[in-house]
Amino acid sequence: MFRSPRLYLTKVFIQIFLRNRQYIFFSLLLPIVILGIVGLNDGESNPIEIGLVDNSSSVISDNFKTKLSTNHLFNIIESDEETLRKDLIKGDLMLILVIPEDMESHDQTTNIKLLVDKSQIQFIESIKPVLNQALLNIEREITKEDAMFDLTIEDVKSRSQNYLDFLLPGIMAFMLMNLSIAGSGFNVVEFRRKGILKRLFVTPIKPIDFVSAIVVARMIIVLGQLTAIFGFALLILDAHIIGSIMHLYLVIIIGILMFLTLGFSIGSLAKTQESVGILASIFIYPQLVMSGVFFPLETLPEYIQPIAKILPLTLVADAMRSIASDGLTLFQTYLDLVGIGIWAVIGTLVSTKLFVWKEVAG
Amino acid sequence: MIINASNLVKRYKDPDDKSKSFNAVDGISLSIGAGEIYGILGPNGAGKTTTLEMLEGLKDIDEGSAFINTIDVKQDPYKVKEIIGVQLQANEFFDNMNLVELLRLFTALYNKTNDPVNLLKKVNLVEKAKANTNELSGGQKQRFSIACALVNDPLILFLDEPTTGLDPQAKRSLWDLILDLNKSGMTIVLTTHNMEEAEHLCHRIAIMDYGKLIAEDSPNNLILKHAPNKVREPVQGNMEDVFIALTGHGLRD
Repeated sequence: MFRSPRLYLTKVFIQIFLRNRQYIFFSLLLPIVILGIVGLNDGESNPIEIGLVDNSSSVISDNFKTKLSTNHLFNIIESDEETLRKDLIKGDLMLILVIPEDMESHDQTTNIKLLVDKSQIQFIESIKPVLNQALLNIEREITKEDAMFDLTIEDVKSRSQNYLDFLLPGIMAFMLMNLSIAGSGFNVVEFRRKGILKRLFVTPIKPIDFVSAIVVARMIIVLGQLTAIFGFALLILDAHIIGSIMHLYLVIIIGILMFLTLGFSIGSLAKTQESVGILASIFIYPQLVMSGVFFPLETLPEYIQPIAKILPLTLVADAMRSIASDGLTLFQTYLDLVGIGIWAVIGTLVSTKLFVWKEVAG
Repeated sequence: MIINASNLVKRYKDPDDKSKSFNAVDGISLSIGAGEIYGILGPNGAGKTTTLEMLEGLKDIDEGSAFINTIDVKQDPYKVKEIIGVQLQANEFFDNMNLVELLRLFTALYNKTNDPVNLLKKVNLVEKAKANTNELSGGQKQRFSIACALVNDPLILFLDEPTTGLDPQAKRSLWDLILDLNKSGMTIVLTTHNMEEAEHLCHRIAIMDYGKLIAEDSPNNLILKHAPNKVREPVQGNMEDVFIALTGHGLRD
């Protein structure tokens, strides 16, 4: 077995990788930590701690308190103003509500005081409507007025998906990019710098033998790494995949190929190990922000959105999410696949254009 | 003649002025017979390595022609690579692989089989079979590098400054190895800075400077021709003989 030079070289590349225990450990640690944090938290945001001082102790203030505490967004802590102020300063509380003594009097507007830490002002802006709503409801009950409007939120996709399931395809796409880029660009520069490439080309192997060996080896390695992370998410964190796993893996394979060619381009552009690190960062980090993996694309400035939509990571993440979360088939993601194909062609052209084999040898 | 090169030229862009170019190798012609040990001597930057790498098919030949065992290097560099062994100046290898595994890899790249232990025996490194290259001393690394060049049982062995940086013991042991390989019929082409090495090993020497070949002959004839009047100290040895006499011939690594 493995008698052909190309297969033997592929085997050696995989072997070298498997012996680098430290790299394996750290390459799996990051995604597992990210997924673990998200998965164990299960997408539930922690309730906001609110301090409450009830100077009125009336039926209305009791009603108000019950309304607030049924809202799962809040955790109400009742105490005197002095103690609560200390907690607010310590940062244990987000805000303090002070209900005045005259809450029950109907003939004037009751003024409820909000004590806040100004550094949290943005948070408070988003809580204010909820408080207003609670107050409005109580007011209506008292004045016996029916609300003209009501808002119910219903998930139209209505399936058993949580935040982790939304995040998983994106994180997988991001890991796929990182591992593929690190596996191709860095290798080439390292082998060139050490003179290993030249040593290999003393023998009658051809550049295509070397490239295909490293591509196949990396493909197998990255697939193994991604499968380990998938397994962790599915078995330990109980994540769900709606679409076909096979289609998902086909997207992953195409995605790895694309990022390997782009990684070779980075490796060909970079002359040194330091510059390959910087070039890879320039490639990776803007995509992390702009690809919709962690933040929705809609939050980006409008002029960036068209660019963000055609980034390699956006395309892979979108195709993976379409299959994993929305249950689409591979063929329904054809627009993404065409984009990935175009990037792969660009990567192949740039790397073959820049990577002069004779100069590597020299 | 097993190696025939005529008017080899390698042109590079001038690093100071990109519009200009200079010839790193400027019209070199060589004929090397089978079974010869042929040395290329010259200062740094004379074009020795570039000349070797053009013959080895590692660098494009810009002008001129080269034939190795009647194979045209320009036409069939891969066929040439099959019958030559090459030791490079830099000898780094993959981390995490031991000597036997590396030899197996290089043998496989020629699509051949060769016993790695046998190869290590030739270069006196059997006891290091399971070691990684970063555990080897300078001399051991050079010997291992030669073992790697022997995996395809080459007709011709190219050695680029094989003894640079070695201590006298390691250097002499490498000389013995080169002479042994030559005795078994291998043609050897080497570059060196070391005059004593050239004189001790080579049947013929070419002296290169500024990309040109400025002299070529046997060591003896070169001395007669260019330094005939310099009287040699007849009885005394030199400092290196003193060093060897005091520290012994045994290899230190």
